[in-house]
Amino acid sequence: MVTGRMRGRVRVRTAVLYTALTVGLVAVAGPFLWTVLGSFKPDAEIRRDPPTFLPAEWIGGNYAALFERMDVVTVTINSVVVASVVVASNLLFCSLVAYALTKLDFAGGRLVFGLVLLQMMVPGIVLLIPQFVTIASLNLADTYAGIVLPGLVTPLGVFMMRQFMADIPDELVQAARVDGSGEFRIFFQIVMPLCKPVLATLGLITFMGSWNAFLWPAVVAQHKEMYTLPVALASLSGRDSVHYGMLLAGVVVVITPVLLLFVALQRYFVQGVATAGLK
Amino acid sequence: MKRYTTGSLALLTAGLVALAGCGRASDGGAAEAPKDVDTSAAATGTLSVWAMGTEGEALASFAKQFETANPGIKVTVTPVGWDVAHDKITASIAGRSTPDVSMIGSTWMGELAKSGAVDPTPGNVIDKAAFFPSAWGTVEVDGTAYGVPWYVETRVLYYRKDLADKAGVAPPATWDETKTFVKALQKAGAEQGMQLNYTVGSWQEILPLVWQQGGSITGADGKWTFDTPELVKALEVQRSYFEEGLASNKVDPASFPASFFKGDVGAYYSGPWMIAGMEKDGGPGFAEKFGVAPYPKGSASGTSFIGGSDLVVFKDSANRDAAWKFVRWLSEPATQAKWYSAVKALPSVQAAWELPEVSADERVAVFGEQLKDAKTPPPFPTWDQISKAIDQEVEKVALGKTSPKDAAKAIQAQADAVGTGL
Repeated sequence: MVTGRMRGRVRVRTAVLYTALTVGLVAVAGPFLWTVLGSFKPDAEIRRDPPTFLPAEWIGGNYAALFERMDVVTVTINSVVVASVVVASNLLFCSLVAYALTKLDFAGGRLVFGLVLLQMMVPGIVLLIPQFVTIASLNLADTYAGIVLPGLVTPLGVFMMRQFMADIPDELVQAARVDGSGEFRIFFQIVMPLCKPVLATLGLITFMGSWNAFLWPAVVAQHKEMYTLPVALASLSGRDSVHYGMLLAGVVVVITPVLLLFVALQRYFVQGVATAGLK
Repeated sequence: MKRYTTGSLALLTAGLVALAGCGRASDGGAAEAPKDVDTSAAATGTLSVWAMGTEGEALASFAKQFETANPGIKVTVTPVGWDVAHDKITASIAGRSTPDVSMIGSTWMGELAKSGAVDPTPGNVIDKAAFFPSAWGTVEVDGTAYGVPWYVETRVLYYRKDLADKAGVAPPATWDETKTFVKALQKAGAEQGMQLNYTVGSWQEILPLVWQQGGSITGADGKWTFDTPELVKALEVQRSYFEEGLASNKVDPASFPASFFKGDVGAYYSGPWMIAGMEKDGGPGFAEKFGVAPYPKGSASGTSFIGGSDLVVFKDSANRDAAWKFVRWLSEPATQAKWYSAVKALPSVQAAWELPEVSADERVAVFGEQLKDAKTPPPFPTWDQISKAIDQEVEKVALGKTSPKDAAKAIQAQADAVGTGL
């Protein structure tokens, strides 16, 4: 009797939980789905009131138009190059800084960390002109180097890695030192392997940031051969007229890699967010 | 280590010099005289050109004709998104990495001229008289022209011809007739009567109402004048449409233009690009169901807003002569007419309107007529901020949150605080 009532209660709770999850799923995935479906509709149907969900007729013309008006291969390569360099360097450099901040005892460590935190409070847009002037006087405007340079180490990355590494027991590091291991060996062979979840999280965050970055690459890249995906996509929309179908097709092209990456790293991502103290 | 420090100091100095460079105009700027272009030789070398939106995409292949006529030249066009164009151009000025030629929004000229980075228009290659005077007004700052108007756009009245025919009314000629006209459209089935813009960009509908009464937003002393009877009246007129139920102030922006296709909206003011939009998205036969008419006249005139894009040559251009020759080619009547066929951008050069490519469509001719009476806000560097202040107050009036009188005062107060920037 008691177990029956409990089972009933569990069933109600499950039902409520799933209803809530379904509502959440629809709210999150709905616009996504609409975008994907919309990329197969003609423009007149996208603008139709009341709107349709499933395309009345499926067309591939939007993708054809996108590939015709935009050099998708070149800009995708640019995006991949930029994002890979930014992710790799963030993983390495942010971890190195974090290691120094947590495992090495040096004068001014707290000050350095304070400076890092301070940078997190400066809005990126404020830095646009000074950064561009610097890049331009280094003759790096319109180059890959110019696009990636300001993003190679991010304060958020340092912060995340520091929070995670602070929880790695110092005894582990000291034991290795006693055994005669150098700092780089400790860093690469002991600390980094323990950081996998947070590295996955950081990798994903910086990848998304770099993949979606718009203003900076748009300002630095001065030829369409240097454009990244979002920049090339934005150059397709006119001031007064927008080819929505084609833009939706472009959006699908842009988000697909992020989506795949997220699915692949999802387990680490959740773990990383939970452990990095960003709850 | 020592060397490294010296290096970074040099870098810092370079940055500061570049920054100082963008301020250099405050002393020179307006008074500087344009230098002539050497026209004896054909254009050679390379040119980098920035252009936005549709123009940015179409110009690359269009410029091939210029390359054919000038075998020694290579034109590289970079399409730039409208969203980023302004930031990109100002950043490139600060970083001294400007292109040779760029398209700019017609209301940016004041700001760019003040930056000192754009070249004054040489009189020996560009003839001011060839352009619509109203269009030329968008490139002139304090008596000096920087660049040329490339193409123009102006606003006219779009209306449902089928509903007007059903109600037996003709497009209105005056403000009073407009109300009767909209009421008739409403009776014929257009629930909203007319759609008026009261959100972003609404200044483009309010300023014509000021000009149509003979008013002005700048005084003889060159300062902003917004707290005027004309602006109060303009706001009152727009508000009366909402109050009398002839226009809605609860418009979902996404519902337009579908609402016009369905016949819920009977009329609206807009620019030439809507013709193609209406014909393409309206469905079969819709092209016959709508018409365009010049702005109805106020007590003084039927002045409309003129916008569009200008072309500028940057002073840092390494190939100045060729850059101006390219600009001259783009402003030849024949090129302008061809450009119209390519992207439907209305020619800023008057002679181009006589050519068959442009004169064939009678709806387009309405725009040509309207261009003879159109104005642009003064090219003051602060215009962007001022226009946003107007938009905000217009919205408040439309929603009944403030009165036209208070709104005019509020715009004036903000304009006084911001100044003209000259």
